[in-house]
Amino acid sequence: MIEKKQQIFNKLGLHARAAAKLSHMANMYSADIYLIYNEDKVNAKSLLGILTLAASVGNEITLQAAGVDEQEAIKAIGDLFDRKFDEEG
Amino acid sequence: MTKDAKGIQVSQLRELTQLKITRVFNEKWIHNLVSHPRPQRPGLGLTGYFKHIQAGRIQIFGKTEAGYLRSLKDEEKQRCLKNYFSLKLPGIIVSESIEPEPDWIAGAARYATPVLVSELHTVPLVSRLSAFLYQYFSKKIKLNGVLMDIMGQGVLITGASGIGKSETALELVNKGYQLIADDVAEFYIDSNDDLVGRANEIIKNLMEVRGLGIININDIFGASAVLEEKKLNLVINLEKWDPKKKYDRLGEDNLYFKILGLEVPLINLPVGPGRNLSTIIEVALRNFLAKKSGRMTYLEARSEALATEPPPAAPGREEE
Repeated sequence: MIEKKQQIFNKLGLHARAAAKLSHMANMYSADIYLIYNEDKVNAKSLLGILTLAASVGNEITLQAAGVDEQEAIKAIGDLFDRKFDEEG
Repeated sequence: MTKDAKGIQVSQLRELTQLKITRVFNEKWIHNLVSHPRPQRPGLGLTGYFKHIQAGRIQIFGKTEAGYLRSLKDEEKQRCLKNYFSLKLPGIIVSESIEPEPDWIAGAARYATPVLVSELHTVPLVSRLSAFLYQYFSKKIKLNGVLMDIMGQGVLITGASGIGKSETALELVNKGYQLIADDVAEFYIDSNDDLVGRANEIIKNLMEVRGLGIININDIFGASAVLEEKKLNLVINLEKWDPKKKYDRLGEDNLYFKILGLEVPLINLPVGPGRNLSTIIEVALRNFLAKKSGRMTYLEARSEALATEPPPAAPGREEE
């Protein structure tokens, strides 16, 4: 199992569209992937789960993955956060 | 509502419409913290027996307390109020719209205690208040799954992502059962030691169905298709059919799902082609209810019959 701290850079935070992109990406990996924020831990493959976090810009969340492709999964999801979910130029 | 690990402010209790608070005295101290889930009726505490009066508990004054104070002579009453309020209580709620007397309010003010008045009778006031406080102070846990009311039972449908939890739940909603929470359900232990689940406010009434997106069950199916919260009675875990795994063939497995120190009956349902999950779940519920009401399982009935019936005569030669 690996973990990575990740800052949220996009203005709107983990709103519906960003959460959809994130869960879509998480579903491409077989590893179990979780987002941890404020003691809440949700499945990154669950769109509604991500929405319940209500995490916004500037917050730091923890990405956690366990499985054969955990490294690739964390890297790809971390990149998605860093790219601000491709929302802003 | 802001969450504070140390407690909840009396001002937040005032906002609860179910408590029917009509008036507030000593409002300056309305931000005092209640740090205990059980409301307290002072009772003997007013006579000077303070042993069990706890500083963090919201106090309820009913007819008994009011009547007792009124029966005291002035000097004695002042002493009693002083001793009682010096315990630094977070707040007093007077029930049944009883008019708090000026010296109670003054006594409370000396020790920074707000006094609230509710329209409710003491018993419903205490029960509503403790129901709320129990939920507020209870340890909470989020579980991945769909929480539904099926035949009056709270059922959590769990399983790996993409196995078809939401699709199965949608079929069940279509059959007339109620959705409480899709994907993530939040559980707490209520004052009856029951595990109660509800949806996070953000995703209440919502369901995600791949291909359709996020849909609002309340808008599509109406208010009768959703429920605010439900006690959990059964967990049904959907899993990919594994030919090597031994599934319950006789209906004799008694599995439990452990959560927050409680045990909830668990059924593992393998998902495979040709298995209509919503129907299987409905039947599982009927079977669960039958067992709960004391019906024997097939196997129990069979072994009981074998124990009481005389053994069949051994085949002998004379039959030939």
